[in-house]
Amino acid sequence: MSAGKGIPEHQTLSLWQQICLITSTLIGVGVLTLPRATSSKLFEGGWVVPIVGSTGAFFSLWLIARLSRRFPEKTFIEYSQIVWGSVKWPRLGRWLSIPWITIYLLYMYLSTGIASRLFGEVVVTSVLLNTPIEVIIITMFMLALVLCWHEVEVVARVNELLFPLILLPLLFIALASFQKAEWSNLLPIFRGTPRSVIEGVYEGIYSYSGFEIMFMFFAFAHKNTKKEVAGFYGILIAMVIYTLIVGASISVFGYEELQRVTWPTLELVKTTQVPGLILERIESAFLAVWVAAVFTTVANAYYVVVFGLRQLLHKDIIFQRVIATVLFVPMFFFALWPQNIVEIFHVTSYLGLSSLVINLAIPIIYWIVILLKDWMFKPERKNVDG
Amino acid sequence: MAKSVRCFIRLIVCLIPIILVTGCWDRRELEERTSVLAIAIDRAETNREHYQLTVQIPIPIKIAGSSGKGGGSNSDAVKIMSVTGRTVSDAANNLQMRLNQRLFLGHTRVLAISEDIAKQGIQDIMDNFRREPQIRRLMWPIIVKGKASTLLEIKPELAQIPVVFLMDLVENGSKMGTIPDQTLGDYFNQTSNKTMEPFMNLVEASKKDVTWKGIGVFRGHKMIGQLDREQTWSLLQLRNEKKGGDIIIPLPNTEDGYVTFRPHFVKKKLHIDKAKANSSGASSFVATYHCELQGDIVELTENMKVSPEKFILQMQALIKKEMESRAKKMLQPLQKQYNSDILKLGLTLRALHYRDYWETHNWKEDFRDFPIRVVYTIKLRRLGMEMQ
Repeated sequence: MSAGKGIPEHQTLSLWQQICLITSTLIGVGVLTLPRATSSKLFEGGWVVPIVGSTGAFFSLWLIARLSRRFPEKTFIEYSQIVWGSVKWPRLGRWLSIPWITIYLLYMYLSTGIASRLFGEVVVTSVLLNTPIEVIIITMFMLALVLCWHEVEVVARVNELLFPLILLPLLFIALASFQKAEWSNLLPIFRGTPRSVIEGVYEGIYSYSGFEIMFMFFAFAHKNTKKEVAGFYGILIAMVIYTLIVGASISVFGYEELQRVTWPTLELVKTTQVPGLILERIESAFLAVWVAAVFTTVANAYYVVVFGLRQLLHKDIIFQRVIATVLFVPMFFFALWPQNIVEIFHVTSYLGLSSLVINLAIPIIYWIVILLKDWMFKPERKNVDG
Repeated sequence: MAKSVRCFIRLIVCLIPIILVTGCWDRRELEERTSVLAIAIDRAETNREHYQLTVQIPIPIKIAGSSGKGGGSNSDAVKIMSVTGRTVSDAANNLQMRLNQRLFLGHTRVLAISEDIAKQGIQDIMDNFRREPQIRRLMWPIIVKGKASTLLEIKPELAQIPVVFLMDLVENGSKMGTIPDQTLGDYFNQTSNKTMEPFMNLVEASKKDVTWKGIGVFRGHKMIGQLDREQTWSLLQLRNEKKGGDIIIPLPNTEDGYVTFRPHFVKKKLHIDKAKANSSGASSFVATYHCELQGDIVELTENMKVSPEKFILQMQALIKKEMESRAKKMLQPLQKQYNSDILKLGLTLRALHYRDYWETHNWKEDFRDFPIRVVYTIKLRRLGMEMQ
């Protein structure tokens, strides 16, 4: 069942499915804190962060898409061995690729744990005050586990199905809250230094992590689809949503107030008055729908870990199911490892930084290696990777 | 064999969510909660350091329509309880000791604070309301003259639950443009924001009913003064483009004649210009509010005996003069006495003149001396059903 050996037509991912995968993985718990993170360094101009940050994401995802195009129908796990090895020593590639694959899978693994913890924190602090956080995390893991028992095309279909559920509430909140907007809160547009832009983008980077799942999923793209286009639209949708949410939050609250609230987007939901007063206290409803957004983030990332291990060890779906179940235990303990809310935000900021390294460094290093090899073994090129 | 194992696994998968995914930890039926509709905070009579917390709790069975024999006098529809405590949450805990069901603040709509406490500063009170997730940012914070608990004890008769009456009063007022739409969330934002100061609605309660008196002006977390109705309406026109109430002006050259002007549309434009260098002024900026009022004459108690064309011109000039003097009366205490920018002028200044003004000035102090001019344009459209 390795992806390299030709995939049945019905199991490939359409363009729309790839977009759904990217966007719904990007949009996760990060959105709930994004307005605070972005405005902490750039003040009124915080809404610039999602736009500036997206350029990095576009570039990185473009590199990943090009990698996948170079090694069609091969995942990161499979083509790593080709990139680092050569025809003469195939085992060398296997050993040299191990560190990269380990970093990648470990990062996905840890970010899965912390995303579910963050989600648990939101739920516990705002709606289900008496529920133990362990229960919320375990339930989220259980959902992800069920998904991990299936093949890739199921993941894609689930994402496609949940996509509107993630997008519409956010769009609705962002647009509905603009009726309370104070536009002067968004001005002056820029009053920082170029350094502060970089710092601001750094704060918001956690929200743009997640598209690294495409290291794996691009391998299953239908051959007639353009992976770069899918990446472009996927990030574009997330960028528009992020910019709207950050813009709405800053204009409604002002950046000073945003620094004081733990979950700004949730507060935005709380202040938003639905015209006609049909629904009051919509934050509970919002969080209920929000489960879908977090689920796609958590489950997709975890699926990548499990599927990556399966490919790395050349096992089958049974192995995948077993390993998915087993790996939950350490992840659960990792999720509970940060002791308080401040520590959690520290961990997310480290994860954001490591996502930057993984998303930018890995594709760039891989391309450098590939181009070096092309240049050194020019005559052999056709034999190496077709 | 394999089939039975699969069957077993499926069964387990079905059963585990039934146990775990129900989310029953926080299940609380409606009747297992004590919903608080309004909270009033006073200084405790016994110990000046302590707070007295008064809550209004509706009694569902006594509310007409909910059961056959409901109704009756509206004093029975709610229960009012008072407790004291060192802090707000301490008082809330003491209150819980006297209740059979768990206190629930998710439906609280009004937060009444006594003028006395507001003047002393309410930062410590608000902290609890900021942290508590049940508290809605859309509830109304209100300052009460005298004791705040009097606001909860009114018997308005027009509505069964006093707080509903009060809520409707504020909500309708803000819809009509006469009462500022100032929610708790707005108050939070304004206290955090460096460019502006907060304010709250101010009411006075008697035995039977409640009157909106104007607004209490804050500086930081302390109330330092108040604006009366007319001043607040001027503020609303310049700040929110809300129309405010009817404008009643004594007619010049008459015994006891009055004209009443009802604004329908308000348009405001704020221009901040660099003024020509003058010798005394410290700041070189001038803010000019251009405010356009469109409206009708709704009452004229004396016949003016002039041609309609002339009458309209006369009235427009009269109203313009009156409105500009009212705006002055509003700005005078706000700047000189309170030095509190509830106009949101600082926000505009920061937004548009960050580099050339904001960076070099301390707005909290400089608001006092910032020149503000107000120019009204009155457009008298109609004269009602009368043709003169």
